[in-house]
Amino acid sequence: MKWLSLIVPALFLAVFIFGLVRRVKLYDCFTDGVKEALPLILSVFPYLAAMLILSALFEESGLAKMVTDFLSPAFRLFGIPPEISSLVLIKPFSGSGSTAILSELLTQFGPDSYIGRCACVAYGSSETVFYISAVYFAGLKTKKLIKPTLIALAANFLGVVAGCLLCRIL
Amino acid sequence: MNGIFAVIFIASCALFLFSNPDGFLSAMLSGGQKAATLSLSLLAVYCVWLGFFKILERSGLSEKITRHTMSATRRLFRSDDKEALSLAGENLSANLLGLPGAPTPLGIKATKRFIEGGNDYAADMLFVLNATSLQLLPTTVIALRLAAGSALPADIFLPTLLATLLSSLIGGTLVFLTRKRRKKPALSREGRAA
Repeated sequence: MKWLSLIVPALFLAVFIFGLVRRVKLYDCFTDGVKEALPLILSVFPYLAAMLILSALFEESGLAKMVTDFLSPAFRLFGIPPEISSLVLIKPFSGSGSTAILSELLTQFGPDSYIGRCACVAYGSSETVFYISAVYFAGLKTKKLIKPTLIALAANFLGVVAGCLLCRIL
Repeated sequence: MNGIFAVIFIASCALFLFSNPDGFLSAMLSGGQKAATLSLSLLAVYCVWLGFFKILERSGLSEKITRHTMSATRRLFRSDDKEALSLAGENLSANLLGLPGAPTPLGIKATKRFIEGGNDYAADMLFVLNATSLQLLPTTVIALRLAAGSALPADIFLPTLLATLLSSLIGGTLVFLTRKRRKKPALSREGRAA
């Protein structure tokens, strides 16, 4: 897996050298690009803040735990072990929260156990849907945002179901 | 979104009121804190990648790449907006390569252009592909497994890849199936190649 760390520096090197060959003014051009960074952050910040405050409330009020307890029997029906149901539920809301749960599960059950492997696949094959939807659709009419968000959630869930099944076979 | 926000907010607020009234404000502040720190670290990431992408663009390299991905992305997003397609193509490539942070600024820009052009279908498709974790190498997970002392840290590679491919495929298909029909006859088949 060592060659993996080569990708990023090699990519930058190749592109910068290509830019030089094409007589691009690297410094001017780079700063032009960076100029766009601040407006981009400003445009997504309010949505990001609302989303993260909501996630914090959801987790720390115990509501997340109640929903998890309520749904884990249903999850078992789909072949998702109840031990990882909190991971599956938190992942769409919070990247850092789900990373914390994953490392907890890994120390508790061991990374090579069935639960541990399931948790890894569930984590790796799903995304922080609400965060991405807040950022990508910043400032958009909310009506437009419901359908793609629901689709993404459903697709992620089915991916996790398939992942747990695959962990049994592979 | 307003409905979801109201329901979750009021329910958690009520829970706090009965169980732990002191925790309410501190929970909200911890969320705000996360937003502040995350925005700063995102700003750092955007500085690096937006500078890099500008050089990619000015050197003409991005156009070269786009020429190869254009036929696939045009079909996938059903759009003729060259700039948006090029951004979307780069977003998908950055996702596949797992370049940390790189897909987001590209994705935001592409989504804005798609929506301004009235192409909600393309915006939805791009979002769903991004939100179903289109990644070839689950680097974070492998690092966490290593840290937890796994004998085979890369053991989950294949099931993760298959699961994430499946979720992207399901997501893409659902967007395709639930699209609003346009007058133009539909393009023959959905191109899933990125």
